[in-house]
Amino acid sequence: MNIKIKNLTHAYDVNVLDDLHLDLDGYHAIGIIGISGSGKSTLLRILAGIEKPNQGTVEINGQFADDKHYKQNIGFVFQSHTLFPHLTLLENITIVLEKTRGIDKQTAKKTAIENLTRLGLDDQKDKRPNKVSGGQAQRASIARALSVNPDILFLDEPTSSLDPILTDEVLSSVEKLKGLGKDFIFVTHVISFVKDFADYVLYMDQGVIAEQGTPDMLDNPKTDALKNFMNKVR
Amino acid sequence: MVWSSSLKNKCFFYMRRMLKSKTLSYIIAISLFIGFLVFVALRQRTPINFSRLAGYESLILEGFINTIIVSVIALFGSIILGFIMYLMTKSKSQTLRTIADVFTEIIYGTPLLVMIIVMAFLIGPAFNSFNRIVWALSGIIIYITPYMSNVYRSVFKSISDEQYMAMDLFGFTATQKYRYIIIPQVLRMLMPPFMNNFSLIIKGSALLNVISHRELFFTISLFQTRTFAYSEGYLLMWLLYIMITVPLSQLTKYVERRWSLE
Ligand SMILES: Nc1ncnc2c1ncn2[C@@H]1O[C@H](COP(=O)(O)OP(=O)(O)OP(=O)(O)O)[C@@H](O)[C@H]1O
Ligand SMILES: [Mg+2]
Repeated sequence: MNIKIKNLTHAYDVNVLDDLHLDLDGYHAIGIIGISGSGKSTLLRILAGIEKPNQGTVEINGQFADDKHYKQNIGFVFQSHTLFPHLTLLENITIVLEKTRGIDKQTAKKTAIENLTRLGLDDQKDKRPNKVSGGQAQRASIARALSVNPDILFLDEPTSSLDPILTDEVLSSVEKLKGLGKDFIFVTHVISFVKDFADYVLYMDQGVIAEQGTPDMLDNPKTDALKNFMNKVR
Repeated sequence: MVWSSSLKNKCFFYMRRMLKSKTLSYIIAISLFIGFLVFVALRQRTPINFSRLAGYESLILEGFINTIIVSVIALFGSIILGFIMYLMTKSKSQTLRTIADVFTEIIYGTPLLVMIIVMAFLIGPAFNSFNRIVWALSGIIIYITPYMSNVYRSVFKSISDEQYMAMDLFGFTATQKYRYIIIPQVLRMLMPPFMNNFSLIIKGSALLNVISHRELFFTISLFQTRTFAYSEGYLLMWLLYIMITVPLSQLTKYVERRWSLE
């Protein structure tokens, strides 16, 4: 994918993102890491077009983030699953396809099952979110995000509410998505996942991108900030 | 020897399982209550004799039905008014929010009996209206309204910001959001607290006897003054209220379990 960020500044009470610039091309899985409160989620939401920045522009694959159709090419998975709790896993997907994409019932169901199966949930499809594990619910969220066939899938710490075993389960399902030809931008605290999955890494610190590069930079950090961070997460 | 000891073990096993079983414990608890009722009934000066009810069945039925009618009206009234109050507490206008706040405090501070009397005998007449039942019923509705408003607040709050973000991202229109996502969830969650409040209303409606409305409490009092069968009247009155409210609360629990989304 091609990402261009120019003069990106965003503040709530204080500056959360401080004059970011980025110009990347050809990467398919960008991992964002950094301590809590460094602005990772804010950056991700702005990249996904969910939130409008105070200043600056975001352009992905030639389309600006404030473009009307921008969000149609995007899937987003939040920290905790955002499945609609009154619908089964299957219905969670079909309702999106039928109502927002105008896809007919049969096709919607077929697509939904295809994506649930891809995430190993075909036998859970008729359960409500409260009847499956946290990891399964999160995988269903991913299946739902994929089912609208987005170009880019955003994941914001999809495993931070899960225990280590469920974390592994979710992350290895995400790794299996590599072959789909989609691009990923994700935030995570699981460094091993960044090393396995990302082909480019952004390290955020106090609202700026303090260090960036291919994942091997994590083994030889240049800045003290990233050095400290790597010591902490180890 | 071997046989009898294993038999004994088996017996103990079943006895313990029975004691642990829910059904049995319910049977014990309910028997205790019935036993208590019988004790109380037997201790009355004049022996309880339900045949004294003969001839007054339709009067008592009338009261029973009227209790249900006023309660249902009060339920729907407070469901509507509670929603309006909820909207006021969520309003952008500081004035509206303050009004809702002050009214809530005043209502919370007023006993239901006082609310009914004030509405029927003080506020009604101030508007040249002596239709006491309408004012008294409005009193009940107003009394329950802040509770209903709270119900709406906690239910709407339970739909997370992320769920709204997800809806936005997928491109649901506002109508679609309400129709397919928000209202179906909200309806399920509203039902149990509505039913709890319904029970509150039914019990509170007994106070309508102070304006001589012919609800259950009042018609039984009529029966009592005509026949002097006081003990029978009180006992029947109690049992009839319980006959409505206990099944209602059981139904509420069932709905809560059945429709839970947690
Ligand atoms: N909606 C908001 N309103 C006000 N302040 C916010 C909001 N969202 C985030 N912030 C603040 O912005 C800063 C960055 O938040 P952000 O969620 O982007 O950090 P993060 O790197 O994702 O942290 P974490 O690892 O804890 O998720 C924090 O100080 C946070 O308190
Ligand atoms: Mg975050």
